[in-house]
Amino acid sequence: MKPLNIVGSRVIRVDGKAKVKGEAIYPQDIYLDGMLYGKTIRSTKVHAMIEVDTKKAETVEGVVKILTYKDVTGENHHGVVFKDHEVFCSKKVRRIGDPIAFVIANSERVAKKAAEMIEIKYKELPAVFNPIDAMKEDSIKIHGDSNIIYHYKCRKGNVNEGFEKSHVIVEREYKTSMVEHAFLQPEAGVSYIDEEGKICVCASTQYPHFDQIEVAEALGLKLENVKIMNPAVGGAFGGREDITLQIHLALATMVTKKPVKVVYTREESFHAHSKRHPIIMKYKTGADKNGKLLSMEVNLIGDTGSYASWAINVMRKAGIHATGPYEIPNVKIDSYAVYTNNPFCGAMRGFGATQTPIGSEQQMDIIANELGIDPIQIRLINGFKVGSETSNGQVLSESVPLKRCIEEVKNRMFKE
Amino acid sequence: MKKRGKGIAATFYGTGYGNGFPDVSKAVAEVDHDGNVNIYVCATEVGQGAKTIIIQMVAEILGLGMNDIHLISEDTSQTLDTGTAAASRQTYNTGNAVKKAVEVLKSKLLEKAKEHLKLPSLLGLEVKDKVIYLKTFPKKRVCFKDLIEEKISVEETFTAQTVQMDEETGQGAPYWPYTFSCYGVEVEVDTETGIIEVIKGVCAQDVGRAINPELIEGQIDGGFSMGLGYGIMEKLNCKDGEIKNNKFSKYLIPTALDMPELEKIIVEDPESSAPFGAKGIGEPVILPAAPAILNAIYDAIGVRFYEIPVTPDKVLSEINREI
Amino acid sequence: MNHISLTINKKMYSIDVEEDVRLIDLLRDQLFLTGTKEGCGEGECGACTVIMDGRVVNSCLVMAFQAEGSNITTIEGMSDKDELHPIQKAFLDKGAVQCGFCTPGMVLSAKSLLDKNENPTREEIREGISGNLCRCTGYNKIVDAIELASKEIREEKKE
Repeated sequence: MKPLNIVGSRVIRVDGKAKVKGEAIYPQDIYLDGMLYGKTIRSTKVHAMIEVDTKKAETVEGVVKILTYKDVTGENHHGVVFKDHEVFCSKKVRRIGDPIAFVIANSERVAKKAAEMIEIKYKELPAVFNPIDAMKEDSIKIHGDSNIIYHYKCRKGNVNEGFEKSHVIVEREYKTSMVEHAFLQPEAGVSYIDEEGKICVCASTQYPHFDQIEVAEALGLKLENVKIMNPAVGGAFGGREDITLQIHLALATMVTKKPVKVVYTREESFHAHSKRHPIIMKYKTGADKNGKLLSMEVNLIGDTGSYASWAINVMRKAGIHATGPYEIPNVKIDSYAVYTNNPFCGAMRGFGATQTPIGSEQQMDIIANELGIDPIQIRLINGFKVGSETSNGQVLSESVPLKRCIEEVKNRMFKE
Repeated sequence: MKKRGKGIAATFYGTGYGNGFPDVSKAVAEVDHDGNVNIYVCATEVGQGAKTIIIQMVAEILGLGMNDIHLISEDTSQTLDTGTAAASRQTYNTGNAVKKAVEVLKSKLLEKAKEHLKLPSLLGLEVKDKVIYLKTFPKKRVCFKDLIEEKISVEETFTAQTVQMDEETGQGAPYWPYTFSCYGVEVEVDTETGIIEVIKGVCAQDVGRAINPELIEGQIDGGFSMGLGYGIMEKLNCKDGEIKNNKFSKYLIPTALDMPELEKIIVEDPESSAPFGAKGIGEPVILPAAPAILNAIYDAIGVRFYEIPVTPDKVLSEINREI
Repeated sequence: MNHISLTINKKMYSIDVEEDVRLIDLLRDQLFLTGTKEGCGEGECGACTVIMDGRVVNSCLVMAFQAEGSNITTIEGMSDKDELHPIQKAFLDKGAVQCGFCTPGMVLSAKSLLDKNENPTREEIREGISGNLCRCTGYNKIVDAIELASKEIREEKKE
């Protein structure tokens, strides 16, 4: 490698000094003159038809406006792949935490008080929480005609022939859990109209240009009339990819013509953004007596909860990475994404590829154990190298230092 | 009784949106009439170090210090779309776009300097600290400020290469590049309380080429911690669609006392399509932590857990069942 | 409404506060000392850590009127103008900062620890910051930074 000056060196991070001094500005640190405060009212039921009455809340002194679906000037929807979220639920809620209304008031205290006075009549509907039940044809449906929104298929070689040749076959079922990003900075944002008349939203997001599209579409504005600014972001890990408060804020400012601020509590943050997909994983792995993998069959069922978010991409990535970094000549993988009435799941660090090693890497150890082979050895025997072909038939043409990584760990930790 | 065990896990991770979907980053690099270098990209700094990495690349190409570069990255009205800060794609995708733009900018500057200095060729011209000079005769020199009447601005786009998979067979080239990891861990399981303590970790992470080893090590520590929480601690306790553990007093994430010391090994094997050979590592660093811990638990107590998180109550009930 | 007097970062304040205002609200909403962060509102994450009369407290758990007569240090009081405190400098040098949201609280917990124990072991450092959650760094580089700061501070004293 050509020696370089700055690339490759331990340069101090450019945003570090402001952060150690407490001077970095996160959205909650912004205070504007004449600023109003917003408070979101969310569903307390998992699946229900709703009727919303804001009259009593509107009489509270200091309330400027209460937004519901009726106030959405553009499309009442958003979503990273499918537009299956409503900005405010119009008729139906599909999970606990669905946004229904948004109080705008002259103080946070008034906004909270008025929020408690909004009357929501729920007519509860049957709900489904287990993705296996939700896959059945007679299951209640969350959106549309089927709860199965994606099926990834990988077919390589002939798995039955592979199993027939195998000396050992290991079949196990694994379950991963739904977890939370728990970034330290709860969602917050400030909106205002700038001197050019643009609706501006300052919020922590992973993708400002996509938020711009979502906000413009929901407000019925041209793209260039919306500006998204991204001050310091207090961690994200995938949890700031879907819209949370951006459209609410933009709409509030458009309606009131005033700056508006929202800060979520930690509890609201837990309900507002996506979670990691829990996956039920069935693994069947076959190997010859030397530990060479011959065949693998995998079935993955990912519960995306009440909204799709990135479910298709997550379950696709889970399927593609389900083999682990190993050469296997015969592979059959089916990976499904399924709606339920659980909290919605989306992107989280690893994006499907974090879940599958809970299964694939334990399978490797179980096979090694059954064959009396060292767990490191079985990984070295099967591991990808330059020229290997993945389950997708993709050739790994360069930069495949997997075996070096394994050797490094072996030499430091497993040297007897 | 406290029982110790060791475990290992190896993983791979494909970068980017994948599956043939256009994965595009756009960057603008300019030198204005005062000689300032401005870079416009919308790569979000979520804490991973995107701003630092991008500025390092620019500084390297133009022979500048870190403070000489002005990065504009937080406003959709001033920047072009550089895609999301996700899929471990900013170093690779936006890094490539920035590198392309800055290299074209540099060649334009050199061309201008050649004319300004009345030289017959570009050969031997060097750029350092906003001055272009001839290596063999450094008195032949001109600074950016004197060279530029009107600002020079270059826009470049990088689009990653992937192939959409066949819907029936999954055959295709869904991601590129792939990043590899292997972690080893040692745990100590208290068979009376069920508490699992992770006491050591060795983490070998492929990075292609390291742009900033300090930031990479920080990612490894953070990824390991999140993986540890995933494997043995974190539980939303979702019952009939309701998250019961919706605050930090109930939803437990690792503290400084839960994290072991880690030996972090950066493995370099440059990727030719990547900027300076560097691959994204933000997500790869979490993948092997939890499965390595699960394998170590088995090594310690001979019980295999098929469902995470492996909390103390589960450990105890399995141990009691074994008896 | 209460009227309270207190010292924050060596400056005297005399100020009216509502009954239900917490110390963190006073610092942030009334005095715009926004370096103190709110991460959970229940004293679990430590992002709102300040030093009050020599002790670290979660400013989300202290009511503003309870701070009457107290002496408070926030992150804004850690450095003299542009001169960083050795702890802040060590956080930068050792790569202990990522998203930065926990950093102010972490720095103050580190200060309180080093004020009481100028040469802590790594285990004592871990205990000292165990009330401060960080989701980005996995803590190891924060421990490195506090260890370095401890050394720097001891050497400074020798000189």
